[in-house]
Amino acid sequence: MRRAKSLSLVSIVSWILLAVLAGCAAPGAGPMVRLHDLQPLPEEPPTDVIPLRVAVAAVISPKGNVESYTPLLEYLSRRLGRPVEMVQRRTYAEVNDLIRTGEVDLAFVCTSAYVAGQREFGMQLLAAPQVNGETTYRSYLIVPADSPARTMADLRGKVFAFTDPMSHTGRNYPVWLVRQWGEEPETFFARTFFTYSHDDAIRAVAEGLADGATVDSLVYDFALARDPSLAQRVKVIHRSMPFGAPPVVVGPEARPQLKAELADLILNLDKSAEGQAILRTLGVDRFVPVDDSAYDSVRQIERELRR
Amino acid sequence: MSRGLQVGDRSRLSFLSRPHPMLQRFWDVAGAVSIRTKIMGIVLALVLLLGAGVTVQVRMALLRVLTQQLREQSVSLARDLAARSTDPLLIHDLYDILQILRETKANNPDVRYAFIVDAQGRVVAHTFGEGFPRGLDRANFASGEMHHHTVALTTEEGMVWDTAVPIFDGRAGTARVGLSEERLRATVNAMTAQLLLTTALVSVAGIAAATLLTWLLTRPIHRLVQATEAVRRGDYTPRVGRWANDELGELADAFNAMTADLAAAQAERQERERLRAYYLRQIIVAQEEERKRIARELHDETGQALASLMVGLRNVEEAPTPEEVRRRLADLRALSASTLENVRRLALELRPSVLDDLGLAAALRRYVHEYAARFQKPVDLQVIGLDDGQRLSPEVETALYRIVQEALTNAAKYAQAEHISVLLECHGGQVSAIVEDDGRGFDAENVLRSGLSANRLGIYGMRERAELVGGTLTIESQEGRGTTVYVRVPASPQENRVTT
Repeated sequence: MRRAKSLSLVSIVSWILLAVLAGCAAPGAGPMVRLHDLQPLPEEPPTDVIPLRVAVAAVISPKGNVESYTPLLEYLSRRLGRPVEMVQRRTYAEVNDLIRTGEVDLAFVCTSAYVAGQREFGMQLLAAPQVNGETTYRSYLIVPADSPARTMADLRGKVFAFTDPMSHTGRNYPVWLVRQWGEEPETFFARTFFTYSHDDAIRAVAEGLADGATVDSLVYDFALARDPSLAQRVKVIHRSMPFGAPPVVVGPEARPQLKAELADLILNLDKSAEGQAILRTLGVDRFVPVDDSAYDSVRQIERELRR
Repeated sequence: MSRGLQVGDRSRLSFLSRPHPMLQRFWDVAGAVSIRTKIMGIVLALVLLLGAGVTVQVRMALLRVLTQQLREQSVSLARDLAARSTDPLLIHDLYDILQILRETKANNPDVRYAFIVDAQGRVVAHTFGEGFPRGLDRANFASGEMHHHTVALTTEEGMVWDTAVPIFDGRAGTARVGLSEERLRATVNAMTAQLLLTTALVSVAGIAAATLLTWLLTRPIHRLVQATEAVRRGDYTPRVGRWANDELGELADAFNAMTADLAAAQAERQERERLRAYYLRQIIVAQEEERKRIARELHDETGQALASLMVGLRNVEEAPTPEEVRRRLADLRALSASTLENVRRLALELRPSVLDDLGLAAALRRYVHEYAARFQKPVDLQVIGLDDGQRLSPEVETALYRIVQEALTNAAKYAQAEHISVLLECHGGQVSAIVEDDGRGFDAENVLRSGLSANRLGIYGMRERAELVGGTLTIESQEGRGTTVYVRVPASPQENRVTT
C-alpha cells in the first residue's frame, strides 16, 4: 500500500511535468530544412531534346489560351515526336520580339501584330483560321445589354475598355472610329483602360466595369457559344468591315523544313476526327493558307491612324 | 485465504488512527510552525497552485488556438498567392511574380518565405534574395487536384508551416508559402511571463494579506492567553475586549463570563469559608455557653435544691415532734420531686432519649408538651404521614428536631406570640416542618441579608442544619405580622449540595 501510494504520487507529478513541458517544447513533427543554408539555384540542365516553343498571343486570357490551345499543342507534340511548350506574354509586342529572335518556333498572333511584325522584321504567314466559311473577322462594338447606346457616338463621356495597345480590333479600330469625329480617345471618353485580352474586355462590359469595348468577333462568337447567357448581359451595337483573321505565323529565320512540317500538320487538321476535335476546341472550322493581301484593310486603317 | 485476523492486520485496518510515519513526521514539522506561517503557507500554496495551473492551461490553449490559426493562415495566403500569380506565371512575367511574392511577405509578418515553382518543379521566383535553401523546394508538394497541402517543417529558426497550392490545377506550377511560429511563440511566451508575473504579484499580495490576517487572529489570541495566565495565577480581574463579532469575539465573551463566574465563585467560596470559620467559632462558643448554662443551672438550681434538701434533712433530724418530722419530710419530698423534674427537663432539653428511642414524631410530642407547660403557651402540633415509631434517618430526625426546637425557642423568647402551631408532614420522600406563630415578627429579609448578629446565629444554624442534610429552610416574617419557618428535607439524607 505504501509503495502503491508513492508510485501513484510519482506518476501524477511526472504527468504534470510532462504536460508543462509539452506546452514549452516544440514538437519537431516534420522534416528538417535549414533556411540559412542558401545555395544558388541549379542551372538548366542541357536537354538532348529541344522542345518546340509555340507562342499564343493574348487575344484571350492566359488561362483561356491554355484551355484552348493545349489539345493542339499536345497533338503537335505527338506528331513531331518532341515536347511542345506554350509560351505566353502579356503584350503582343513581347510575343513579336520572341518571334523575331527565334525564341519561339510558331506563334498564333493577332492581326495587328502580324501587320507590324511583317513590316518590321519579316514575320511569315503560315495559315489563317476559317470560321463560318470566312477567313476574316470583324470588330464588334459591345455595350451592356441594358445600355441605351446605339452607336459609338453614344459612348461619348463614358468608360471604354481597350484590349492590348497593339490590338487592331481592340484598340486601333475604336480609336479610328473616334478620330472620324475629329476626337481623341483621351477627350472623347471619360476614362479608358487596357484589359490585355478580349475575353476580359467582354467580361468588363458584362459586369459593368466599362460602358463599352470593341472586341474580336471570333472571340465574341466563341464566348457566346460557350455561354449563351452572355447575350443577356452584353449586346453588339456595331460591326466593322471585315479584316484578315488572326494568322498562324513563323519567324523570319524559321527552318523551311520545320515550316513545311508545321504547315502540313495545321492545314490538314480538318482531315481527321482528332484534328476536328482540336479545331472545335479552338472554335475554328479549319486552317487555310492565306495571302498577305488579306491584311491590306488593316494596314489602311493603321496608316490613317499614323497620320 | 481465510486465516482470520492476525497481528499484522492492524496496520492495514487502522490506517487512520495510526497514520503513515511520513505523514506523522510531516505533521510534527508542519504543525510546529506559527499560525502566521501556516496561513501564509496555505495562501501562498493556493496562489501558486492557481497561478501555475492557470498559466499552464492558458498557455496550452493559446498555443493550440494560435497554431491552428497560423496553419489556416498559411493555407489562405498560399491560395491567394496561387490565384494572383496564375496569369503572371503563364505569361512569364517574372517581375510581377516577384512583386507579388514580396508584397505577400511584407504584408504578413508571419510569412517567412514565399516562392513559385513551375510545372517542371523549377523555382521561378522566391523571397530569399541571393540563393535558395537547399531542399526546400522538394520539402512539400501539391498535386493538381489538391486544394492545398501543409507540412510542418523543422528549421533552425523553429517550426515553419509550409503550404503548397497548385496553380491552375498544377498546369502552371505550384505556389509555396512558409509561415514561421516565431511571433506566435513570442506572443505565448510573453503572455506566460505576464501570467507568471501576475501570479508573483498576487503571491506578494497574498503574503501581505496573510500577514494581516494572522495579525488579526493572533492579537486577540495573545490577549486571551495573557488573561488566562493571570486567571491561573488567581487574578480574576482581567477582561478581554471583544475584538470582532466572530468566533474570537464569542471566545472573549465566554472567557469574560467564565472569569466573572470564577471571581464570583471564589468570592462566594471565601465568604463561605469565613462563614464556616465563624460558625465553628460560634459553635464552640455556643457549646461553651451551653455548658456554662448547664453548669450554672446545675449549680444554681439543682445544686441549690440539693443543698436545701440537705438542710431540710438536718431539720428533720431536729424535728421536735413526729408530726413535724412528717411535715418536714413531706416538704422535702416535694422539693425532691421538683428537683427531679428540673433535672429531667434539663436532660430532655439536652438530648431527649425519646428521639433516639421512639423517633421524631414522639419526641416532638414530648417536647411540645414540656414547652407548653414551661412557657404557659399552648402549641398546636400536627403530624401527618409519619406514625409514631416510624423512623427516618438519625441525621434527618436530629436536624428537624433541633430546627423545630430553635424555632419554638425563638417564638418564646422574642416573638411573644399567643398562638403557635407546628406541622410535621412526611410525603413523597420529603419531610417538611412548618412552625408558625402570631408574634411580633421581624424583618426576616434584612436580617438574613445583613450578615451575622449573635442573636440571629440561631437562624443561620437552622438553615445550616437543613442544608447539611440536603434540605432547604425558609423564614417568612414581617414586623407585626408573625413568623413562619418552613423547612423541607429529603426523607433520606443526601450529599450536601454546594449552594449558589
